[in-house]
Parts: sequence; structure tokens; C-alpha cells
Amino acid sequence: MIELTLQALFSGLLAGGYYATVAVGLALVFGAMRVINLAHGELVLLAAYIAYAAESRYGINPVMAIPIALVVVASASAIVYALLSRIEHDREINSLILTFGIGIIMTNGILTIWAADIHSTTNPWFQDSLVIADTLFAMNAEVAFFIGGLALMAGVYWWLNHSWQGRAVRALTSNRNAAMLMGVNPRQTEILSFMIAALLATFAGVAIYTGKTVFPSLGHVLTVKAFIITVLAGMGSIHGVLIGAIMIGVIESLTVTYLSASLQELAGMLLFLVVLFVSPSGLFGGRRALAR
Amino acid sequence: MTNALDVVSLRAGYGAINVLWDVSLTAETGKTTVIVGPNGAGKTTLLRAIMGLVPVTAGDIRVNGQSRKGAKTWDTVADGVVMIPEGRMIFPDMSVEDNLMMGAFPRACRAGWKRNKAMVFDFFPRLAERRDQIAGTLSGGEAQMLAIGRGLMEQPRVCLIDEPSLGLAPVVVDEIFRILGQLRADGMTIILVEQNTSRALKIADHVHLMQSGKVVLSERGDAVDLDRLHALYFAHDAA
Ligand SMILES: Nc1ncnc2c1ncn2[C@@H]1O[C@H](COP(=O)(O)OP(=O)(O)OP(=O)(O)O)[C@@H](O)[C@H]1O
Ligand SMILES: [Mg+2]
Repeated sequence: MIELTLQALFSGLLAGGYYATVAVGLALVFGAMRVINLAHGELVLLAAYIAYAAESRYGINPVMAIPIALVVVASASAIVYALLSRIEHDREINSLILTFGIGIIMTNGILTIWAADIHSTTNPWFQDSLVIADTLFAMNAEVAFFIGGLALMAGVYWWLNHSWQGRAVRALTSNRNAAMLMGVNPRQTEILSFMIAALLATFAGVAIYTGKTVFPSLGHVLTVKAFIITVLAGMGSIHGVLIGAIMIGVIESLTVTYLSASLQELAGMLLFLVVLFVSPSGLFGGRRALAR
Repeated sequence: MTNALDVVSLRAGYGAINVLWDVSLTAETGKTTVIVGPNGAGKTTLLRAIMGLVPVTAGDIRVNGQSRKGAKTWDTVADGVVMIPEGRMIFPDMSVEDNLMMGAFPRACRAGWKRNKAMVFDFFPRLAERRDQIAGTLSGGEAQMLAIGRGLMEQPRVCLIDEPSLGLAPVVVDEIFRILGQLRADGMTIILVEQNTSRALKIADHVHLMQSGKVVLSERGDAVDLDRLHALYFAHDAA
């Protein structure tokens, strides 16, 4: 019994790590631009399909495909940014419509190119199981990408707090005019945050391809999950995102273990509603802090 | 010698609402120019137009003789024109030190940020004590000191300061004016917007009175008769 619970907690933790990698990108772009990129999950999925194409067609190891996927996802992100920055009025609502549309186009593009089949890596190493302390099981891919994801997020956290450009992102989040008076060019800073979100999305996409399965409608699911986690955390709080993602991951995994896999999504959603009911600005959203 | 700032027949406003009507004024290099005027006269709008935060529809803005009309705010800042805004606009979620570091964001200011920070802490020892405090929890006076300190981190050649004494206790106002006097003595070009006329006049080399989007009086600081200024100042309210 206790072992079953520990295993559920452990699996939830690993899932939360990859959810967080997806959600931090969304939160970062929201922080810099006040825009919720509803195509973010599709960008993650694009990375997964690039890894699939590289592996199935050219036999490239998915990890080695990361740089290729990064180029593609960064280019797609740049296009999303270019379109977003053309919005002049009512940016909040129009950006939702625009990015939602881009997400649909991307899903259908993926469907057209790669069909509706479910894919996962064919490289056995990733799905081999790893046993920790004789009791906890995980796939190599899950553990490797969990650690890699944490390192990446720690890097983003450091960048936000200790680099000139990272501080500029936080300044922009806090007060756009004041940031401009400090010499910040908002466009440069926004593009930078989009590119970092692209890096996180690429990493998350390859993690999903190696540790789980991918299919064209997954992008939408990922966007929703990242959005829920970001709101749960309190828009824009990076460490809040990590904690919120792990909470969602753990709740889902406990639900699968003790109730039913079909209730997994419902459990995460309930947690979300309960937190928002108790604290409407999220877990860490008291003052819209990014990274503090 | 060219002026630090020439504003020539400037018109600016917010979309359909025009606020500044052919405003012309100059600020000499190394001098303190004070702009006074009642609420809503357009003082803040003028400073915002100089910084490129408000669109200019006619006229020109020249800094050291070079037109800056239509320039981007960040480019203006990079050229050493700095604004310490009304209402302080510090970054409330960041520490005092991170706020100061944001002041050093312009490329030319980064290398010297430690030296400049030491200078700011010399000016305002209170900030040094509170360097790790989250800026949103500072008192009003401390927040104003931080706003000034952050502006000084930008190594201003021309420093626009908008109502630094607003809402502060008299002792804090004393301290702020002491610092402004010191910056003036060090030869900084200062453009100071103030409602506290009698205090501002003490450090003014030149005074402009604005009313309803126009400059209605421009005089040398030592030539200003406070009673007449006040009479003009309040004439608007009567009208
Ligand atoms: N964002 C804005 N949109 C529309 N009108 C504005 C805006 N900001 C200011 N105004 C208007 O412009 C006029 C001038 O305002 P401004 O803030 O420049 O005055 P001020 O001289 O700085 O006044 P105060 O001494 O109260 O700070 C006012 O009538 C004000 O209502
Ligand atoms: Mg004002």
C-alpha cells in the first residue's frame, strides 16, 4: 500500500516536471508581453514531431534532434511573435483569437504531414525502466528529462534574477513605461522571452516523444494544462509554476492509482477550481511577481 | 553654446485629446530649469513628450542641438536624457538593489554600476540599509529616494524630475531638495517640475510657468517675484 502511494507520488513528481517545462514558457511570455500564447502546446508538439521525423526517417537519436527541433520551433515562435506584434488594439483579446487560430492551423498542419497515428520513440533505451531504491520505477526518459528540465528551469530562474536582460523582462512585467525609461526596448525583450519559451517547448516536446506518446490533438491538451498551471501558480510566478505543475502531476497520478485513469483530467481541474476559490490570484500571484 | 534642451512650438497629447499648445522653452546646459504650474497644466505631458512616451504632432524637441522628435524612448535614454517620473514608478516586486540595477540597464551605464551604486548609497544611506528589501514595501520617502537613485544610475546628462516632493513629509522634502541642490552644484542639467514653488525657486536658474498647455511666463530664477508668480499661477483658477 505504502509502496503504491510512493510510486504514485514519484510518477506524479516526474509528470509535474514536464508539465512545468511546458508551463514556464507560457508564463514567461505572459510576463513579458501580457499575452497568453494559446499555440504554446502546439509548439511543444511540433518539437515532438520533429524528433519523430528525425528518428523515423534519418535514424537520429531524439536527444540529438533537439537542436534541429529548436531551430524549427524558434522559427515558428518568431512567426507567432511577428504576427502578435502587429496587433495594435485590444491586445489581450485579439492575441487570444490569433494564437488560438495559429494553434488550430498547426494541429492541422501536423495532421496533414504526419497523419493521425500515435507515435513514440523506437529507441529502447528511453523506455527501459530504472529502479530506484528497489521500489520506485520510472523510464530512463522520464528521469533524464525531469533532471534536464529542472536544470533548464533553474537556468531560466537564474537568468530572470541575475542577468541584465532577465531583469528587463521582470521590469517590463511590472511597469512597461518605467522599463522603457530605463532604456529597455520592449520588442527586444519580448523576442528574447519568446525564444526562451521556444527552448523550453522544444525540450518538453522531445521529453514527451521519448517518455510518452504523441498524436496531433495533444497540443491543445498541453496548452490547456499549461494555462491551468500558470493560473494556479498566479500568472507569471516561475517557482509557483513548478510547484503548481508538481501538484497537478501528483493529484493526477494519485487519481489514476486509486480511482480511475478516466478521472485524471477531472482531478487536476478540481484542484484548480479549489485553489482559485480559496485564493483567486493563485498560489503565488499576490503581486504578479515573475521569479520572486 | 547649445542648450541642453530646446522645445520648439511643441504640440502633443493623447490621441484625440491635444494637451500641449505650441510649447516653447529652453534649458541651459549645467543649469536647473524649473517648470511650475497648476494641476493639469501639461507639465508631465511635456516631460513624457520629451522622452517619447507621448506622440508629438507638431514642433520639435532638440537635445544638445539635435532633433529628437519621434525618437524611441530607449534611444533617448541611451543618449543620457533621463526621466524620474511622477509617482516614482519603481518596480515594486524587485529588491531595492535590483531597482538600482535596472537604472544601470543602458549599455553605457553597465560597466560603472557598482561605482554609481556606491554614489547613490552615499546620497541616500537609507537605501543602503534597505538594499535587499522588496521595493513595494518602502515608505513613500524611501521610494522617492529609490526613484531618484535609479535615475542617477542611468548617468544622466539631462535629468527630468517630475514632482519629487509630492506627498512627502517636510523632513524628506528637505532631504530631496538638499540632494537636488548638490546635483546642481555638481553641474548636472536638471529640469524640475514642482508644485512646491517657493522650494523649487531656491534652486532655479530659470523658471517657466505653464498653464492650460502653454508657457505663460519664462524668467531667470533670480528675477522671479514670488507674489507675482503666485498671482499668475492662481489667475487660471479664477478664470
Ligand atoms: N493618459 C492620458 N489620457 C488622456 N488625457 C490625459 C492623460 N494623461 C493626462 N491627460 C490630460 O492631460 C492634461 C495634462 O495632464 P498632465 O498630467 O500633463 O498635467 P500636470 O501639469 O502634470 O498636472 P499635475 O500637476 O497634476 O501632475 C490633463 O487635462 C489630463 O487630464
Ligand atoms: Mg504631473
